[in-house]
Amino acid sequence: MWRFIGRRLLYAVPILLGVSIIIFALVQLAPGDVTDILIPPEAPKEVADILRHKFGLDRPVYEQYFIWLGNLLQGDLGVSIFTNQPVGSELASALSNTLMLAIPAAFLGFTLGAVLGVLAAFFRGGWLDKLFSGIAIAGVSLPHYWVGIVLVAIFAVTLNVLPAQGMGPEDGDVWDSLRHLILPVITLSLIPMGVISRLVRASVLEILSQEFISALSAKGMARRRILFHIVKNAAPPTLAVMGLQFGYLLGGSILVETVYNWPGSGGLMNLAIFRRDVPVLSSTILVLAGIFVAINILVDVLQALIDPRLRR
Amino acid sequence: MTRSQPLKRFSRGIATAAVGAAFALGAASAQAEGTLRIAMTAADVPSTTGMPNNGYEGMRFLGYPIFEGLVLWDLSSADTLADIEPGLATSWTQSADDPTKWTFKLRQGVTFHDGSPFNADAAIWNLERYYNTDSPQFEPQGSAITRARNPNVKAYRKIDDFTLEITTDRPLSYFPYLLVYMLYSSPTQWEKVGKDWAEFAKAPAGTGPFKITDVKPRVSVSLDKNASYWDAARVPHVDKMILYPMPEATTRLAALRSGQVDWIEVPPPDAIPSLKSAGYDIVTNSYPHVWPWVFDMSPDSAFADVKVRQAANYCINRDDMVTLLNGVAEPSVGFFKKGTAKFGNPKNAYTYDPAKAKALLAEAGYGPDKPVKSKIMISTSGSGQMLPLPMNEFLQQTLAECNFEIDFEVVEWGTMLVAFRNEPTEATALNVDALNISLVSSDISQMARWFWSGNFTPKGSNWGHWKNEEYDAILAEIQTSTDPSGMEAKIARLNEIVVDEAPWLWIVHDLNPRAMSKDVKGFVSAQSWFQDFTPVTVK
Amino acid sequence: MADQVSAREAIEGPIPTLDPAEALARAREGKGYWKRVWESLKDDKVTIVVAIVLLLIFLAAIFAPLIATHDPSKGSIIGRLKGFGYKDHLLGTDETGRDMFSRLVFGARLSLISGVLPVIFALLIGGSLGIAAGYLRGRVNTVIMRSMDVLYAFPSILLAIAICGILGSGLENTLLALTITFIPPIVRVSETVTVQVRSLDFVDAARTSGASSASIMCRHVLNNVLGQILVYTTSLVSLSIILAAGLSFLGLGVTPPDAEWGLMLNNLRQAIWVNPTIAALPGVAIFITSMSFNLLSDGLRQAMDIRL
Repeated sequence: MWRFIGRRLLYAVPILLGVSIIIFALVQLAPGDVTDILIPPEAPKEVADILRHKFGLDRPVYEQYFIWLGNLLQGDLGVSIFTNQPVGSELASALSNTLMLAIPAAFLGFTLGAVLGVLAAFFRGGWLDKLFSGIAIAGVSLPHYWVGIVLVAIFAVTLNVLPAQGMGPEDGDVWDSLRHLILPVITLSLIPMGVISRLVRASVLEILSQEFISALSAKGMARRRILFHIVKNAAPPTLAVMGLQFGYLLGGSILVETVYNWPGSGGLMNLAIFRRDVPVLSSTILVLAGIFVAINILVDVLQALIDPRLRR
Repeated sequence: MTRSQPLKRFSRGIATAAVGAAFALGAASAQAEGTLRIAMTAADVPSTTGMPNNGYEGMRFLGYPIFEGLVLWDLSSADTLADIEPGLATSWTQSADDPTKWTFKLRQGVTFHDGSPFNADAAIWNLERYYNTDSPQFEPQGSAITRARNPNVKAYRKIDDFTLEITTDRPLSYFPYLLVYMLYSSPTQWEKVGKDWAEFAKAPAGTGPFKITDVKPRVSVSLDKNASYWDAARVPHVDKMILYPMPEATTRLAALRSGQVDWIEVPPPDAIPSLKSAGYDIVTNSYPHVWPWVFDMSPDSAFADVKVRQAANYCINRDDMVTLLNGVAEPSVGFFKKGTAKFGNPKNAYTYDPAKAKALLAEAGYGPDKPVKSKIMISTSGSGQMLPLPMNEFLQQTLAECNFEIDFEVVEWGTMLVAFRNEPTEATALNVDALNISLVSSDISQMARWFWSGNFTPKGSNWGHWKNEEYDAILAEIQTSTDPSGMEAKIARLNEIVVDEAPWLWIVHDLNPRAMSKDVKGFVSAQSWFQDFTPVTVK
Repeated sequence: MADQVSAREAIEGPIPTLDPAEALARAREGKGYWKRVWESLKDDKVTIVVAIVLLLIFLAAIFAPLIATHDPSKGSIIGRLKGFGYKDHLLGTDETGRDMFSRLVFGARLSLISGVLPVIFALLIGGSLGIAAGYLRGRVNTVIMRSMDVLYAFPSILLAIAICGILGSGLENTLLALTITFIPPIVRVSETVTVQVRSLDFVDAARTSGASSASIMCRHVLNNVLGQILVYTTSLVSLSIILAAGLSFLGLGVTPPDAEWGLMLNNLRQAIWVNPTIAALPGVAIFITSMSFNLLSDGLRQAMDIRL
């Protein structure tokens, strides 16, 4: 088992290296650089050139890349050229804000999805199945950024029962912070709810259709045992998808963060793109990709633990 | 030339004191309380080192309230275009023998928020921070922004503890109008936090009426009132001010309507009627902002012909544009606002006159069979750009009626800035014939920036390379003059020239709308990009 | 991580797996199989209905100039943001007074193009790469699959946003960004399916009887693999439409004054306080289209009996 984990971890290194090269190359294609955005419109080109030189942006790209990589290996994520703040601390706060959304959204989406999926499968073809399957497919088909706007219009502005944006004051009480979470978490949980529900329904149906289940129930086996069997068989694929959905929530929360003005990692990346702030952009994407890869490894390991056959 | 205005300051002090007394008499408890929460349009908290990024909005919120310059804007009146007044310098003189030498008398008794004194040493330390790349306190970002706005500082020296001399690279009568954009931070505080601007940004110290207590990047900045501010008349009435970055107009609106903030910058125009009926105050006022198309004068551009430029100016329905914007803009028919002394008496009074436009185009050789084909660069967003997409789509529709065939090159703000800094014939301009970029029209220094032939890009900011002999001659007179009399007439003449010669398509002046809850009182909307938050109260 | 049939694809849609017996049966049956699929589809009312809805949307997009009642780029400032049936505007007018119905019809063009084309491109590129990797194995497989692993390390929308944000907005960049985003999952699915088919007896039989590699590939592998990949791809279209509109919503996609649903949603966002019904219309259009593609994919999968 440990060798399996080691191999997976080792394999992540070239992948992340590839990611870093792609990002760095991509940024070079962008028109303009951070200095152009930083200084006011009336600044002559000369001023931008001085700044460009100061930050080494006039050096060859490969040199810039290796300097960045070298610092990265020493645990230094660099300093934002735009704000002069260390990327590490900005990213840490942004990521923790995103997690604050993603964890409850994942919890809500996964639980609801699993419950709806199992119920739909058990009542296959009935009106309950149709209703729940409909909810699930709506979850994956709705443009969730649009749902966000509609929710704000209803609950924040018209009814004025929930805050419209942001995380609320840091010194506010717990209840206040929770109220700020409600709308974005619901919006963000739509997709995982839909995906998990559809997957669970299908897995459960598949297991139910297997002959030995019918045999078991024919033998008068207790329902609880059958349920246990189903859970055990449906768990590995569901677990895998949950892990990946969680990674997706981290990276893909950008639209929801925009709608709710949530200061998370998606927003940080969007800002970095807009400002052409290479250190922030490359480090943020690399860290997000790293987390994504780590989640993959974790999922693989968990699957392998449940089903040793997958331990190759 | 002396620009000290003690009398004005004195009278203003009296007025404020009188109002203050009235308040004190009226309700003893109505003094100094409350928290003012404002949603800005910036996508991030502007930098807090004392030289904010994020353009003039950064200066408005994280510049002047906390940090000050030798010269400041007088933001006390809503009725006239804001002018400059003494700030950390009480007076200044331009040397009669050598017009490049300026002497500043510094204000005594001013302390930074950390308690250390402001004096000539502190001033020199800041100048080194901006202009000496090798100084330990050199701040690349702040320096780049400051140098962009103050390119003419050549040398500086301390004469005594409260006298400072600055030398410019050429005579520049309006030099104080540039100095207003250079702010001073505390050297002592910088030393205390470990000689590091990133650390200083977390606990900065300036001399202004507010002091920063908490900085949360991308979330908020909290300010407290500076009770020991040097100008007693401008000690803030609120105890606290919190600033939130909210780039999405819809989000700002929702935040205001759900009571999360008391004041938002630039509400979406469409929401203004409903805000009014829900009891919110919409505050607008003229300010020196132009939303133009900056024409390219190079030979392959149709706009190289002055008749075509004038025709375009006669062919846009500015009133309908104002309707589109729900009244948050006013028609622009020149660099300065029509009806002010600086506007002068141009020959062309641009109205919506398609017949005249077509006639002018016919003279220039264009007609229904041969329309003027041109491409305009417009941005999807950006500082001061208002609502670029619908506004330009509207212009496209109305110009089509006078034989203009307009195409757009839609770019991001960053691409627009790069284009604007390079020559119109460069590849960066993407072959367009005009840029739609909103620009500042506050004073003569800005006029020199956009229209003087000595400021052609890439050296300066005259993007279209428009050149006019008379304009250049008058501007040279203004720059080298040490006599302020007759200055206004000369500036008015410059405006007449840019109206008649139309290097820009004059479209609208923004009115900088703000929406605030009924609890916000006492705000005076200055005719400026900047505002004074000290008289504001919140119930 | 690479060679395992991880359920990662289930972000976008479940990965099909192949039952050898089924595949063999299909290969032998030839047309009979497709006939059976059709029989099964015919009875599936939901799938028939969504297929008709999609057909109508496609027809509307193609014949937009005939269907639209107004010029989608001309409007009157006076008549902006009016409700249903204002003057002769069936669905009201937008923020510069243009006819909503006409813009929605024309918007279907760009929305479908930016939703469907990337999937088709990705299918062509990713499908060939995946089949090549699965059939040729060895080094080719290693190179292709390892490169895909790198692209896979980006959570999907992140990559699209990064590409569009950096290269700038515009239809071409949207197509490019989404195509790159969809290539890795399609490669992986095609590779998996190809490996499964390749290991079946009849391919070996063909090879021993002297057929060349290329012809084996064409005849047998494609026949058996394509249906599966197609079903999987249909489910991607729904995601692609939402993502494309999302990019426009962030201001990174299609540029104005072109009509596109995501962009219309973005421009009308502020109008939600003036005329919420009008502001909601583009969202409804996106929802209906994306939902239809999802249901169609479900229906096809069921009819073709591709297990999850």
